[in-house]
Amino acid sequence: MHVTVEVVGEETHDVSVDDDGTYADLVRAVDLSPHEVSVLVDGSPVPEDQPVEVDRVKVLRLIKGGAP
Amino acid sequence: MSLSLDATQLDRYSRHIIMDEVGPDGQARLLDASVLVVGAGGLGSPVIQYLAAAGVGHLGIVDDDVVERSNLQRQVVHGDDDVGTPKVESAAAFVRRLNPDVDVDGYETRLTKENVELVADYDVVVDASDNFPTRYLVNDFCRIHDIPVAHGAIYKFEGQATTLVPDGPCYRCLFPEAPEPGTVPDCATTGVLGVLPGTLGCIQATEAVKLALDAGDPLVGRLLFYDAMDMTFETVPYRQNPDCLVCGDDPIDSVADVEYTDACTVSSD
Repeated sequence: MHVTVEVVGEETHDVSVDDDGTYADLVRAVDLSPHEVSVLVDGSPVPEDQPVEVDRVKVLRLIKGGAP
Repeated sequence: MSLSLDATQLDRYSRHIIMDEVGPDGQARLLDASVLVVGAGGLGSPVIQYLAAAGVGHLGIVDDDVVERSNLQRQVVHGDDDVGTPKVESAAAFVRRLNPDVDVDGYETRLTKENVELVADYDVVVDASDNFPTRYLVNDFCRIHDIPVAHGAIYKFEGQATTLVPDGPCYRCLFPEAPEPGTVPDCATTGVLGVLPGTLGCIQATEAVKLALDAGDPLVGRLLFYDAMDMTFETVPYRQNPDCLVCGDDPIDSVADVEYTDACTVSSD
């Protein structure tokens, strides 16, 4: 299936995943690590090990710093 | 005019007082407010500057670091003579020099489960921390105790800000758990544009002032994403998560069972 992956602050990608592909697969397809992002569907994070059920997601990178 | 403001204060805060949205009563409210700034580094510096200038009457500052010369490119409350001085001490001296109306309490410590109760004395918290355990502890404790939080984080040329209030989604509604250690880089290893925390910290200070005034429309359920290189702002809406372990349908009532190291996970017990 084709999924639109909008990376906040970066590009929007059209990604193809297998029917049993997961949200983590989407993240890896846009060269990010599932460890460093939240995948948002309708404003809520989805478990990244779950199969993709929507055709559009938003990926938000988790950033760390307060500039120590 | 409010009788609670003296002539010097009416002069000092005149640009607030002439605005209907603040006025003398709003200024008096700021002078009565207590705000805790967690972190006196890049983000905390502009927050401390503007909250002190605004006349927030009681400022708490938590930080366990000392000033290093490499901080001075962005941490604008500290100066060259402060190198080697605890940041809370340097920041408190800055506040006292700027505005004698402000009582400042410095806590030279890292916020942990053992000392987090100090947060309960404050009306508003500004999360300017530089690590995930502190960020999740602030989120969790403040949500349990109905204390609003102005959150900010920065990375290289970009930043995120959002405001967490008792009736809105919390930080875990966006990021349920912290990433594994080492998977997300920090400013010390990647660098950061010196002015970037100024932009984000000013947004956090704005939110803290609005929260203290109970005015305006805070950044609730919205994450503001700022890209300094493109000079763009993007707003990402997000919702309260019913499965959130801190503010969802079955929330925790204490931080006692939360592990604030590594991934900041909540025990299933």
